[in-house]
Order: sequence, then C-alpha cells, then structure tokens
Amino acid sequence: MFFRMIRGMLTRQTGKMAMIAFTIALGASLATAMLAVMFDVSDKVNQELKTYGSNITVVPKESSVISDLYEVDGQADITKAYLREDELGKIKTIFWTFNIVDFAPMLDARMTVNGTEAPVVGSWFNHHLDLPTGEQLDAGITSMRSWWEIVDGRWLDEAKSGDDQRVMLGHNLAEKLGVGAGDTISIKGSASSGSYEVAGVFDAGGDEDDQLFAPLDLVQELSDTDGKLSSIEVSALTTPDDETSRQAAKDPSKLTIAQYETWYCTAYASSICYQIQEVITDSVASPVRQVADAEGAILDKTELLMVLITILALLGSALGISNLVTASVMERGQEIGLLKAIGATDRAISGLVLTEIVCVAIVGGIVGFGVGLGFAQIIGQTVFGSSIALKPMVVPLVVVLVIAVTLLGSISAIRTALRLDPVEVLHDR
Amino acid sequence: MTGKTSKQAMYLRMITASVARRKSRMLIALLAVVVGATILSGLVTIYYDIPRQMGMEFRNYGANMILVPADSTQGGMTRESIDEAASHIRSDELVGVSPYHYENLTINATPMVAAGTDLEAVRATSPYWYVEGAWPSKPGEVLVGLQEAETFSLKVGDKVTITYTVTGDDGRDAIEENPVEFTVSGLLDTGGSEEKYFFISQEDMESLTGKELTYNVAELSIQANAERLQEIADDISSSVPTVSPQVVKRLTTSESTVLTKLQALVLLVTIVVLALTMICVATTMTAVVTERRKEIGLRKALGASDRSIMMEFMGEGLLQGAIGGLFGAGLGFAFAQLVSTNVFNSSITFRPILVPITVLAALLVTGLACTIPVRNATNVDPALVLKGE
Repeated sequence: MFFRMIRGMLTRQTGKMAMIAFTIALGASLATAMLAVMFDVSDKVNQELKTYGSNITVVPKESSVISDLYEVDGQADITKAYLREDELGKIKTIFWTFNIVDFAPMLDARMTVNGTEAPVVGSWFNHHLDLPTGEQLDAGITSMRSWWEIVDGRWLDEAKSGDDQRVMLGHNLAEKLGVGAGDTISIKGSASSGSYEVAGVFDAGGDEDDQLFAPLDLVQELSDTDGKLSSIEVSALTTPDDETSRQAAKDPSKLTIAQYETWYCTAYASSICYQIQEVITDSVASPVRQVADAEGAILDKTELLMVLITILALLGSALGISNLVTASVMERGQEIGLLKAIGATDRAISGLVLTEIVCVAIVGGIVGFGVGLGFAQIIGQTVFGSSIALKPMVVPLVVVLVIAVTLLGSISAIRTALRLDPVEVLHDR
Repeated sequence: MTGKTSKQAMYLRMITASVARRKSRMLIALLAVVVGATILSGLVTIYYDIPRQMGMEFRNYGANMILVPADSTQGGMTRESIDEAASHIRSDELVGVSPYHYENLTINATPMVAAGTDLEAVRATSPYWYVEGAWPSKPGEVLVGLQEAETFSLKVGDKVTITYTVTGDDGRDAIEENPVEFTVSGLLDTGGSEEKYFFISQEDMESLTGKELTYNVAELSIQANAERLQEIADDISSSVPTVSPQVVKRLTTSESTVLTKLQALVLLVTIVVLALTMICVATTMTAVVTERRKEIGLRKALGASDRSIMMEFMGEGLLQGAIGGLFGAGLGFAFAQLVSTNVFNSSITFRPILVPITVLAALLVTGLACTIPVRNATNVDPALVLKGE
C-alpha cells in the first residue's frame, strides 16, 4: 500500500514532482560546481603563477659561500664549483616529483662575442625529457622565461635541426653588437671558438638583456666545462611556508620524527629544497623568496575568496531547495488532513511524504551532480584551459547537503501541516 | 473620493492583505528573492573589487618599476629628482619608493658592497624580505645578506667595523679612512641577489661617506596594470629628464596574465551562481503562485477580468521583488564587506548603482516567475478549478 501510494504520487503528479526535482538538481549542480572549482582552484592558480619563473634555485655548495662578487675573469674558473649535469634527471626522482613542473640548468661564462666581452649563459630551451615514470616533459627557459618578448626572429627550438648551433641575444647586447636575427656572430670561449647564427633577439626587461643565451652543450664545448652546471632553476608547485616549515628549513634534525615526517611529506618550498639537496651532490637549494612568498600570499587569498563564495553559493542553493520543498509540502495540507481524517498516524504520514521527497531528491541530486560537473569543466576550460580535477570529497559533501537540506525543509513543513486540525484543513479553513 | 482613487486603494489593500495574511507562504517567496538578490549584489561587488584587492596582493612580488639615472656618467640621481618622479604617480597607486645608494666598503680590508636605503620604504616595496633577527631601527645597525653573513661569519648581535676609504682623484690612492662600528641587527634571507649585500640606513651611509647621497637605483612598487605602468613611465621620462624609468617586464606581464584569469574565474562563477539562483527563485515563486489556482478560479467566477487578476498577482510579486531586492542589496554588500575584511583586510567600496540594479533584477525575475503560472491559471475554466481539477 505504502509503495503504491508513493508510485501513484510520483507517476500522477509528474509536473509537480518534476519541478521539485528540477530545483533540487539546480541546487545540487550549483553546489557540485562550486565545490569542485573550490577544491581545485589553488592547484590551478599555482600553475598560473608559474609564469613568474622559478621559485627554487640550486647552486653548488662552495659558490653559495664564496660570493661571486669577487670572481675576476680567468681566476673564476679555478675556484668555481660546479653541479654535475648527469645528476639533473634525479630532480624528477624526489618524493615531490610531480610537483616539479619545470627546471632548467644554467651554465654561466664570460666569452668574447664579435670582439666584445659579454656574459654567456648555456641552458635548455625546450629540452624534451622522457622520464622513467613514463611522464614526458619539455623543460627549459622557453617556458620559464614566459615574459621574454621576442623583438626579432624567434625562440630557439631544440627539436629543430641546426638550432643546437644557434644562439639568442638580449636586445641591449644585440644593439651594442649591431646584429639581428639571421646574422652570424663569432664567439670565443676559453677552450674553443666558432661562428653561430642568431636565432632571435629578446627583450627581458632586466639584466638578461645584456646576455647571450646558447644551448647548454654549445657553452660547455666552448668553455671546456663538459658535464658541468653553475646552477639549476626549478619551478615547483609548493604549499605556502608557515612558521614550522621555516624552522624546519634551518635545521631539519631538530624536529621530532612526527614533525619531520609531516614536514617532509608536505610540499613546502623548504622540504622540496631539502629533497633536492639530497639527490644533487654538494648543492644548496634555496627558495626564491620574492616568488615563493608572493605565491603563498596569493594562493591563500584566492583559496579563502573561493571558500567564501562557495559558502554563499551553498547557502543559496540550500535555501532554494528547502524553500521549494517547504512550499510544496504546505500545498499538500489538504491531502495530509484527509490522511489524518481517515486515521493515518503522524508517523505514517511523515514517512510517506518524506519518502516521496527523498526519492525525488535522489533523482534531482544525481542529475544535478552531472550538470554541476559540466559547469565546473566549463569554468576550468574557459578560465584555465584545463579540466578541473574532481576531488573525491565533493561527492559525499553534495550527497549530505542535498539530503540534509531536503529533509530539514520538508520536516519543518510536515510538522506545521500535522499540527493543523484535519476538520479545518478539509473545510478549507 | 473619486472612483479611481478608491479602486487604487482597494488594489493596494488586496495586495498588502494577501502579503500580511498568507504570512508563511509569502515569507518563503520573499526569502527566495532575498537570497537571490544577496547573491547578485554580493558577487557583483566582489567581482568589481577583485582587480584592486588582488592587485594589492601581487605587490608582494616587489617593485614593478625601477628608476635609474638617465645618464650614468653623470653620477647618481638626487633625492629630489626621485621625489619629483614619484609625484607623477597618484598617491592611491603608489605603494612605496625605496632609493638605493651602493658603495664599495671594506671590513678588515676585505671588500664588500653596502647599500644605503630608506629601510622603512623597503619593507613596503619588498615585502618578501625575510629578516632573521630584527630590522635596523636605530643608527649604527646593519642588515646583512645571508651569503655575506656566511663569508664574514657574522651572527645577529655581532659588532662589525665597516670602513669607507676616501680615494684620490685617480681613484686609486687611499687618502683617508673612515671606520665606523656597526651592530648586526638582522640577517636577510631572500634566496636572491640581495643576500650578497649589506644594508644600512641613508643617514648612516651619509655619515660614513661624508657626502650627500646620490642614488644608483630607486625601486617603485605601483599598483597599476601594464598599460598604466607604461603610461607612468612615459610621463616620468618626458617630464623628469634626469631619471630613466624602466618597467619590470617579468612582473607586469605575469601579473596581467594571472589577474586576468582570476577575474575571469570570478566572473564565470558569478554567472553560473546567478543563473542557477535566479532559476531557483523563479521556481519557488512559481510554486507559490500555482498553489493559488483555486483563488484565481473563484475570482474569475466572481467576474474579475483576466487583466485585473494578472495585475493583482503581478503587483504582489513585484512588491515582494522590490522588498526582497532592497534587503538583498544590503545583505549582499554586507557579505562582500565580510569577504573583503576576511580575505584582504580592507574594506570594500559601496557601489550605489548596484542597489537599483539588484532591485530591477529581482523585479524582473519575480515578474517573469509570476506571469507563467498566473497565465496558465487564468486560461483554465473557473468551474473546473473550483471543483478541484
């Protein structure tokens, strides 16, 4: 009998039920979309902030002590310490390997370019890496110097044949030498010399405008520093530093084992630095505070902002759902009065009405969840150009929200309806 | 009393009585409108304030414009020319100006480089500087870069004698030495090139060198987008010939990329939330009106015209829309204010234009939501409705 009544209600009053389901679906989709975006927003913004360049630099241990201020040419090569190029791949083997989005080795040298002395930097441009984990990565300065404006020519492309013998010039240097893209310049290093074509001239708006950038192998060959690097720039997704992580960074051995594990297993800039130091021999990795701190502040704010907007949206959808449910239950005062008059208990009536509404809520909730995921993807694709990853936490949250709101909305309305005298209700007041 | 006014009075009485008597149902409809209007006004206020508020956060990246002497052979810039350049920037845009005077000094005959600067201003232009110990607060205190601290093995609280050597005209022979004792007040950790320098106040630098300071570089932190920065730079270079302004491209390009995305995010979220909430409001209103089919039928049976029924229901709906819209506009601003103080620690500007917009939107949604069910109800034969379907 119970099921027949419910089935009857659901099949006969389709219009009304569809409207309730529709509203619940709307509320649920709003909740799903907002929660999905909220949980993923910090990852997405973090990716965007990578345009500011590296947030960790790795230098050889000795050079971080001996300031390179005193390095005079010639002498520099004798005392200078280097990192090893063959260890570069190890950066992608640390615990937080998936948080390392990009890195570029740097080799600084001073060379004679067309008779003028100029700083030369050897690096990767878009170096293709096939990692043992199966991940593929194009690492290098093409992505880590996204703010460079190419004023003449083009970016070096490592995949292009012949580009390993081409170089890029800062626009100040290019002006000084009077050369542009396509011209050939002679470079004389400490070991050998040669003529190379200029692929492009860039405007970096900083010191790099006076420098020459060339493929790493080329600079190593010219200055006889095979397999050596002066520094590595790393761009990593990090969790904003807090007081514990700062203390930990100073001396990890002072932490208790539990603290150490929490620190090691959180993607703080300091713990990623520590892990890089573990795999690169004789290195000092330190966060670039200008980038790391600002990133932390912006991430915190964005997240908090989204949390508050999400709360508003959730409140809105909760009130929307419970409002409609309350209205639809109130409307059925007469029916409830009739049921009471023919002897139904309060419990039986509540059970009946609630089951009906929960059935509708489940259908509406499932549809709404699907639609909400769609909305989240639209937001992700439009704003960030990538899909929003669905955190598993969203599912239970939406389920609990929809059921709790529906039940709360209907229970209070049923209470009011039950309190009414059946005689009055049936008489139409 | 003329017939017209009594008719109007009756109309008003019917609407208000209906609102007052059917309290709970009206409350539900009103609540729905208030929620919708709150979300509208709150999110739109936040959307418009995001660039300003977030832009402030991006100033954590430090200076986005630097001033260098236009002709480096003429020596550094004077404080006056820096101040004059800074006066071309609106005060609500300017976050800070910090001039730097770099000088080659020695500690125990070992050379090092120290910068004399306005340490208060540096805290505004470079908020990312992490100082272990304290910032120099009184004369004779020095802030030491971490790398230099290791080179000279200095700790917080150590005393160090810094010597300025007055050289002859050929720049080689030492004529006179001026040693001054400093206390290390803090160590500077930035992970960048700042760690290679010592930082002292301008006054200390002046007493050390015994000359009036000229500056090699000035860092400006300006809250403005890339185009506005370029505009400021052009303005300064044309009106202050002694300095050459340069926009720090790395920061401005990246900032506009990220800020545009953030604003697009809030815009899309606002659109999605608004669309869904407005539909929610409409369905609730529809549900409340649909319930009154019987009443409509009765009125029709009593001889009311479709138009007058329509007018009455619309009037009721619009009254709710207006009240709900007004409340919502206020609540929305309160929400935006709450967000602003919690997230950005600053208050939000009230936009009066949003009040009429919110009320209009509320009127539009409630009006539309009432029209459909009332029209459906008026199309029905009153006899059928009164019989109960």
